[in-house]
Amino acid sequence: MIVAEQKPLPEIRQMIAPYKRILILGCGTCMTVCDAGGEREVTFMDNALRLMQARDNKDFHEYSEFTVKRQCDPEFMDILLEKVKDFDAVLSMGCGIGVQTVAEKLDIPVLPGLNTSFMGASQEQGVWDERCSACGDCRLDDTAGICPVTRCTKGILNGPCAGVKNEKCEANKEINCAWVLIYKRLEKTGQLDKIRREYPMRNFRAIPRPRRLTKTSAGGISHG
Amino acid sequence: MLTFRTGQLEKSPPKRLDTASIDRSLVPPCQAACPLHMSIREYIDLVAQGRIMEALQVIRDDNPFPSVCAFICNHACEDKCRRSQVDDPVSIRALKRFAVEFGGDRMVQLTAETTKKESIGVVGSGPAGLACAYYLRKLGYPVTVFEAQPEVGGMLRIGIPQYRLPPAVLDTEVRRLSSLGVEFKTNCRVNSLGNLFEQGFKAIFVTIGAQQSRRLGVPGDDLQGVVDAITFLREVNLGLKPVIGEKVVVVGGGNVAMDAARTALRLGARTVNLVCLESRPEMPAFKADIHEAVDEGVILNCSWGVKQLCGDKTVNEIQLKRCSAVFDAQKRFNPVYDESITTALPVDTVITAIGQSPQIPEDFHLRIGRGSTIQIDPVTLNTNQTGVFAGGDAVTGPSTVVQALATGRLAAIRIDDFIQRKYPRPAEEEIKSLIGELSAQTIEYIKKIHRHEPPVRDPQARIKEFQPVENVYNWEEAINEARRCLRCGAGAEVTFQDKCATCLTCLRDCPYKVPVLDSRGTLQISADQCQACGICTAQCPAKAISLRKPYFRRTIEDELEHIGRTKNANNLKPLIIGFCCQYGLFGTGILSALWRSTKAGIAFVPALCVASVEADHLLRAFEIGAEGVFIAGCGDECARQNTTFWVNDQIKRVQKVLKEVGLENNRLQFYAPQNKTENPADWLDGFANQIGSLYLNSLIKEETRRDSR
Repeated sequence: MIVAEQKPLPEIRQMIAPYKRILILGCGTCMTVCDAGGEREVTFMDNALRLMQARDNKDFHEYSEFTVKRQCDPEFMDILLEKVKDFDAVLSMGCGIGVQTVAEKLDIPVLPGLNTSFMGASQEQGVWDERCSACGDCRLDDTAGICPVTRCTKGILNGPCAGVKNEKCEANKEINCAWVLIYKRLEKTGQLDKIRREYPMRNFRAIPRPRRLTKTSAGGISHG
Repeated sequence: MLTFRTGQLEKSPPKRLDTASIDRSLVPPCQAACPLHMSIREYIDLVAQGRIMEALQVIRDDNPFPSVCAFICNHACEDKCRRSQVDDPVSIRALKRFAVEFGGDRMVQLTAETTKKESIGVVGSGPAGLACAYYLRKLGYPVTVFEAQPEVGGMLRIGIPQYRLPPAVLDTEVRRLSSLGVEFKTNCRVNSLGNLFEQGFKAIFVTIGAQQSRRLGVPGDDLQGVVDAITFLREVNLGLKPVIGEKVVVVGGGNVAMDAARTALRLGARTVNLVCLESRPEMPAFKADIHEAVDEGVILNCSWGVKQLCGDKTVNEIQLKRCSAVFDAQKRFNPVYDESITTALPVDTVITAIGQSPQIPEDFHLRIGRGSTIQIDPVTLNTNQTGVFAGGDAVTGPSTVVQALATGRLAAIRIDDFIQRKYPRPAEEEIKSLIGELSAQTIEYIKKIHRHEPPVRDPQARIKEFQPVENVYNWEEAINEARRCLRCGAGAEVTFQDKCATCLTCLRDCPYKVPVLDSRGTLQISADQCQACGICTAQCPAKAISLRKPYFRRTIEDELEHIGRTKNANNLKPLIIGFCCQYGLFGTGILSALWRSTKAGIAFVPALCVASVEADHLLRAFEIGAEGVFIAGCGDECARQNTTFWVNDQIKRVQKVLKEVGLENNRLQFYAPQNKTENPADWLDGFANQIGSLYLNSLIKEETRRDSR
């Protein structure tokens, strides 16, 4: 799941300053789950912005709230096309993908309310950890389900490096060395021979960006 | 998904477009068990909030004679209360008595217009007859009640001792009926129904009770000094002062026997022995009644049958034989005696209370069934004669007051159906679904708070007079007892499944671990287990969860809007807004002080649970102009664990925004008293002072900024 956090209020305030009527647009999928841009957070943002202008006593904006199931599908934007006439700008509480999808569809400025952080997993209520870098070349079978590209600070494929101390990373003593974790888990699952394998070099430059995935024959849209 | 909220600061406040105001709750077991199907959960909750008059209104809506039930109801509701699976049932009847005595006669609606011309006759003024008359008046019929005795009330008047139901209570209820326009004809025995029809009554409700005492059927049962309990109680209640001897024996193990025995004590009997066939656990009388009788000095002689009564003209000895079994294998009443074991008791007066049966005058020409009761159609309550309906003890044999009231209400509806030629419709309660059992896991997480019985007077003092045995709860006791209610069937549900992102927030946050993932991976909140604390509704990031039946007068949003308007009208500065637990606040004695010492400029918002106050409510409070905001909870007195944690979570979030807005952190605080003796008003004074100085500071800052411009 994509994880994001809300931008600081002053930054948002600065972004929306030129626009009077603002639609705060929530996203009902990842942003709801990661407590950043669901319906509740949209209300929170709305109230926080109202409070701010009530205290500042300047730059009055009109705020409205709306939450769609998912901002990253253009069809959901169709229901917005009518409503959007009443607004000068949209403050999107979606991830970076959502903001762009909304912007492609609408003819008014679309502003990001969140900083998209990473793709991650929930550890407990309110805590998320990054787990995947979307490298497009998954090797998790060799690394016992632990991704060295994401979880090793250096992203090395033949670890551990010499910087590991007490199983912790030299860059951040709070973080467990991904390669120690990989070793332990390979041992636990009886696949320790995999650690002896030499990994072929990865060619990071070989992946052309932006990527596109086409699963139907109708893949004829040009890259935006 | 599709909520659309618009508007600007001074315009109308944001409203949620959800179904929060629609009651989707399930019928709790107490309500299902009550013959009147009273809205018990609702009025108990109102008592818990300290809104006693509103609770009384709910009680009066469902019950024609709440004060009668408050004194003598056999409370089937408490037997079914799910709280008994956790610790003890909620003391529902005593809470009703608290509400009734608190409210008295205030705010009683005493109007009923006569909209129909068909007059109805009610034969018998017992609870069933009175209830029927009450509801017929409400339906607009002219009603006349006929009573053979000099006073109205039937068994309530002549059968129930005054220490259980003070006559003044009954008088009040009867007066209410009179002012509703019910006509009473006392000392008026009806001998023929045909006569009534000739007088112009279009329908007749026969509810003449079961007042014929069974005889012992043993040698000597016609001696002087042998009296049946119904006659005895009637004479006592009508003030005829029957003479009894020093040594009294009451025969029977039911409630009437208990009443007779305890009345005999109050009339001055030296010893009162109670003889019954049943063993102590089998005795049909209510457990509390037996307990109170024993406390007062009634001696129980269980598993004895009467062999014979001896004496020359006047009874002086009662001979008993051992009863080895009361019921046979089919659970039918069929006592077996062991004649070899006998005993005897000296006696001056024998009171027999071994059951009553109806005595239906032959001139009524009604079909009589088993046990001399009137045969009726169970749905329409019609007898074999057109236009003649029957109910109460005359149909069922001796039963409870609340059952009689329910029958009376049903009879009124059925008579209306008959007159208006309508098809009898089923009761509303039968349509709604019922709630199931609590699971072992939920029980484990519910905080154990034992039942607080209403105080009873000292046994030695109470047998000297006919005053009520039980005292009323005081304010604090009542509210604490009412707070034990589990609010069965009113809990949370995922109202908008399409909004639910299955983020598992509710599953992780629920203090009772109620939400679960089913085998398909769908989130389920079991209505049977939820305790309606509202935490998940505040925590759900998709706002997909709402309570099946919300318990607040106004939503927090509405309450805040109201405060905002008041503030603008009165120009109160600095304004402080407090979010307080709606239960702790009003009465527990801890937070009541806070509420009562309210000063100008301090406004309160009652919340279902302080943990269900959302961060955006706090922001909104600041937005409408509050200089300081606080949340006050009950601390250790709270019925749930960990509420403080959730409150602090919300406070931290909002404090971050305050900082970004340029407001001080301590403008938002959480207050929970450490112990019962702490006076919350002291804390509030301190908080108000802090906010006052912060407000002054901000004014000065504002001035300087303006000057420098």
